[in-house]
Amino acid sequence: MTFSTPLTSPLHDRHVALGAKLADFGGWDMPIEYTGAGVVAEHTAVREAVGIFDVSHLGKAQVTGRAADGTTAVDFINACLTNDLRRITAGQAQYTLCCTEDGGVVDDLIAYVRADDDVFLIPNAANTAEVVDLLSAAAPAGITIVNQHTRYGIIAVQGPRSEEVLEGLGLPTGHDYMSFVDTTWQGRPVTVCRTGYTGEKGYEIVAGWDETPAVWDALAAAIEPLGGRACGLGARDTLRTEMGYPLHGNDLSPSITPVMAGSSWAVGWDKPSFWGKAALTEERAAKTTRLLRGLRVTGRGIPRPHCSVAVDGVDVGEVTSGTFSPTLKVGIALALLDRSVKVGDEVMIDVRGRDVSAEVVKPPFVTTGVRD
Amino acid sequence: MSDLEYPEDLRYTADHEWVREGNEGVVRIGVTAYAQDALGDVVFVNLPTVGDEVAVGDAVGEIESTKSVSDLYAPVAGEVVTVNEALAATPELVNSDPYGEGWMYELRLDVEATTDDLLDAGAYEAQLA
Repeated sequence: MTFSTPLTSPLHDRHVALGAKLADFGGWDMPIEYTGAGVVAEHTAVREAVGIFDVSHLGKAQVTGRAADGTTAVDFINACLTNDLRRITAGQAQYTLCCTEDGGVVDDLIAYVRADDDVFLIPNAANTAEVVDLLSAAAPAGITIVNQHTRYGIIAVQGPRSEEVLEGLGLPTGHDYMSFVDTTWQGRPVTVCRTGYTGEKGYEIVAGWDETPAVWDALAAAIEPLGGRACGLGARDTLRTEMGYPLHGNDLSPSITPVMAGSSWAVGWDKPSFWGKAALTEERAAKTTRLLRGLRVTGRGIPRPHCSVAVDGVDVGEVTSGTFSPTLKVGIALALLDRSVKVGDEVMIDVRGRDVSAEVVKPPFVTTGVRD
Repeated sequence: MSDLEYPEDLRYTADHEWVREGNEGVVRIGVTAYAQDALGDVVFVNLPTVGDEVAVGDAVGEIESTKSVSDLYAPVAGEVVTVNEALAATPELVNSDPYGEGWMYELRLDVEATTDDLLDAGAYEAQLA
């Protein structure tokens, strides 16, 4: 697909009515923050109460069927993407990566296993078409990949009070982290996933594209008495950075591998095959590449992507994500650093020509309740 | 946004800064309601140093929000005589009170410097449209 004009979510008119500031996000015109709130207030609502996010820009794709030799959709995905789907069963979801043969990352995504012959994928907005193309090209006869980007909308409900919100709507809660339930809400099929990108307990609700506004309206009404807020993608970014969750395009990319990004836990190293296995296995054993670390600013300033990092005047790496932490009230960053730099070391970040001191830390930067 | 205000007693620049004339050739400088709204939550302000001599258009500091960073430009020439120390700990004053507690710094105007070339409230608001 080629998008000449920004696509809009099924909730676009809701965002406009709420006075959202909109910006391009992977080809989608999405809310960054809302009038009368802003990134800090929205971030705090998620950490302390609950927030709802429109993430309908995320991709959706379905992989179904089985090949004549018995290869199922699960087997096929397992032979392509990095993580090991044999670790989970139907009704569970898994974070995984789509790599190239040289180990670079095309995308990071979540795979939801409905059955051996039915896997639902949620890739990043901008990478969905490429992931679908790569899988389609590799699929044997009998296995079908369908891009369903605009068939479903997605609303994330995140925060310690998210469970109350869902209960109020009569939606299922209490299932394990990284699992999901297919159900109906007022006659509409919805999927309630215990997933998210904030570090808080939360859910992501997948609904039919045209039915997403009704779900949003019900959620918006339910969060109001709980101190909840509609949250934009600005808060989603500060929340995920506080957790040290990588963002594709910043902390994972065609040139930043899972080994470098500390995502080796999402690789099934003992699987017979996955895209990039040879290159990544070699890189992992060599132990020479830079590693993604956390930086917590001890001076004054906010690191941003591509700021260089030095120790005693010697360049040791580069910031990949950096922002202001609304929880800690200081600048925080993820940075690719030489292996000589250890947790606890002090480094200097070059923030537009000014030296800003920071301590190397192990993310997450905050403690949260994602598994509570 | 129609609810943003631009006080009549201030002068403005196209870079969304305001200048308030005070006693004895000292002017106070800050950013407009439009600027703080466009920036979003202000989380860091880097101000010039007292004693700095600045010329019109010099980049004298930075104002940073959760989303982006912008330079502060000197709207008039002069010497920095005071900076708003409160912004170090409470940069959010720029959002809550851009013309009051959220001021940035004060300059003693150079001998020949004047605010006459700056925009009045009507002209500033007109060029936002």
